[in-house]
Amino acid sequence: MEQNIKNYVIGVDISVRKTTYAIVDVRGNILAKDSFETSDYQNVNEYVSTLSERIIMFAEANGGFDKIRSIGMSAPSANYRTGCIENSPNLPWKGRIPLAAMLRDQMGIAVALGNDAHVSALGEYSYGIAHGMRNFIIISLGHGIGSCIFSDGEVHLGAEGFAGEIGHVCVKHEGRECGCGNKGCLEAYCAHKGIIATAKQLMESSDKPSLMRQLDKLSPRTIVDCCEQGDELAIEVYRITGVYLGYAMANYSALLDPEAIVFTGGIAKAGHWLFDPAYEAFNRTVFHNIKNHVKFLLSTIDDRERDVLGASALAWGIKEYSLFK
Amino acid sequence: MVDKEKISIFVAYKILRVNLNYLNLTYLSLIIMVQDSMKTRVVGVDVGYEATTYAVVDVRGKILSKDSFQSATIKSINDYITILCDRITEMIDKNGGYEQIRSIGISTPCGNYLSGNIESSGKLAWKGQIPLAAMMRDRLGLAVVVANDAHARALGEFTYGCAHGMKDFLFITLGHGFGSCLFSNGRPHLGSEGFAGEVGHTFLLPAGRECDCGGWGCLESYCATDGIVKTAHELMESSDKPSMMRKCSNLTPKKITEFCDKGDEMAIEVYRRTGFILGLGLANYASVTDPEAIIITGGIANAGHWLIDPMNDSFEEHIFHNIKNQVKIVRSALKDDERNVLGASAVAWKVKEYSLFK
Repeated sequence: MEQNIKNYVIGVDISVRKTTYAIVDVRGNILAKDSFETSDYQNVNEYVSTLSERIIMFAEANGGFDKIRSIGMSAPSANYRTGCIENSPNLPWKGRIPLAAMLRDQMGIAVALGNDAHVSALGEYSYGIAHGMRNFIIISLGHGIGSCIFSDGEVHLGAEGFAGEIGHVCVKHEGRECGCGNKGCLEAYCAHKGIIATAKQLMESSDKPSLMRQLDKLSPRTIVDCCEQGDELAIEVYRITGVYLGYAMANYSALLDPEAIVFTGGIAKAGHWLFDPAYEAFNRTVFHNIKNHVKFLLSTIDDRERDVLGASALAWGIKEYSLFK
Repeated sequence: MVDKEKISIFVAYKILRVNLNYLNLTYLSLIIMVQDSMKTRVVGVDVGYEATTYAVVDVRGKILSKDSFQSATIKSINDYITILCDRITEMIDKNGGYEQIRSIGISTPCGNYLSGNIESSGKLAWKGQIPLAAMMRDRLGLAVVVANDAHARALGEFTYGCAHGMKDFLFITLGHGFGSCLFSNGRPHLGSEGFAGEVGHTFLLPAGRECDCGGWGCLESYCATDGIVKTAHELMESSDKPSMMRKCSNLTPKKITEFCDKGDEMAIEVYRRTGFILGLGLANYASVTDPEAIIITGGIANAGHWLIDPMNDSFEEHIFHNIKNQVKIVRSALKDDERNVLGASAVAWKVKEYSLFK
């Protein structure tokens, strides 16, 4: 009997800037990888058409589309249970978008969609520093802040699939406006836009000279560059951000008692400028029975690689389906 | 009949008889084995801040006998354990005897299921790390398991109460302390060292009131018994407004509720502030765990709508938008002391059976 065993899956990582897709085999080897700009496609129908065309051409150029078993996708504000993107504050497409169904209609094979924090945790658990841990939390710091809770070796999705939205816990009543509509969210202080807002606030409220004042483009990365050059105001930006982050981690640890908190995402590249004040604030305020046994760790795999690997793990998990038999 | 045939019939008959005897023997020993290992009862012990309740419970959750005694005044842990073990032994003797008891489950504040200890309680009379499970097992000769009171009560609610069938929910116990238990996918989330659920020691900002855990701004120091009384005193000091609370010498949350029922504005404000903070803390908890429901138990829940209404408003104001209006907040329907020992008994079934007397 000649059975066509499909040995490959496609992992797609959708982030606010870039969409990356890769062909991955059963052992986690990435055969080929490519990407394009998400922000070029303000209309989600055009985006899905482009994505499916690119995937088909890519698969054909790398062994044939009939070898692909299923597709796994990672996106911010996505929900694994419904297969939809739900009211994302940061992506160009608003409201509730049945992305998994849309792509499956165009591609004819099974598609799974997971929250980017969830998929990132899967990738880290399968191939990274969290391998073997039963209870841990992954925090992804980027344009948004998401997290994924691992409880006794399994992902905790919650009743509706939305668990882990630590970016939207309130750290200050009547605080900064957040893209989700609430005020005082952690995301409004510690994510991409939040750090820029803190920098602007500091520059306005003080006359101190700063390299940041001369920057064309104020961004978390350029602020880190200023820190490296000893700029005091820039260092203070990350100190304030770190303290908010540390307090949020202390609360999160009191609730969940994780073995470790693993940080990923673009903002995590700020390194010790952010994490030294965060860890100090954390140790100072965490409940005493938990102090000293929660480790702060940085992910060791490259972000894009981990996210497509996690998305591929998601793809292996869903039931196979094909329009073409 | 030929001799050969007679012999074969005879041999067949003998084999049959031996087989039958063997079967009889097996059946008999099965009965004996089954009777030997039929321990259908456990003891559930609920250690509270004021009193300790203990009961003999059968496998179907029926409480065969229940009793309690005041434990807050017993300063020495050794004295406490002696009294508790004597009382348990007495109750077991009157209710079927030791051979029927499988194990003992103890629910206690600051208990840790993984270590079997009471871990540095701020409010119990006995301080530091206390190997409660080991001490009780030495005295009683049976397997003993210790669990955090929030964990044990959540298990009781899950097994016998309104949480039966829920896969993801939060169980809150608000009394002298403020604890919780998260159920994830039908199992309690204990954390890597067994300390998960300490919502009472989360904070909005680590400033404000000092908590007896050593931290600042903890939710417990605002929302539990002592915190509510403190809020009342703060309000009375900061304003000249008349209030029935001023004439009360020994203010308690229960009395404050009574004043609310009589229309006292300052008393109502006490619960409005408490409800606001409680709702905000629970909203943060629900945003990260996405539970189907939050079940509230404990003495403070008796404040009823004076607390629950401002709490609900604050909760919906701060909850993550994608789960707004989806989380049910309910009060447990079971009676506190019944559910607490049932929970402790449910935990007892989880430990491996052990007996000094075989």
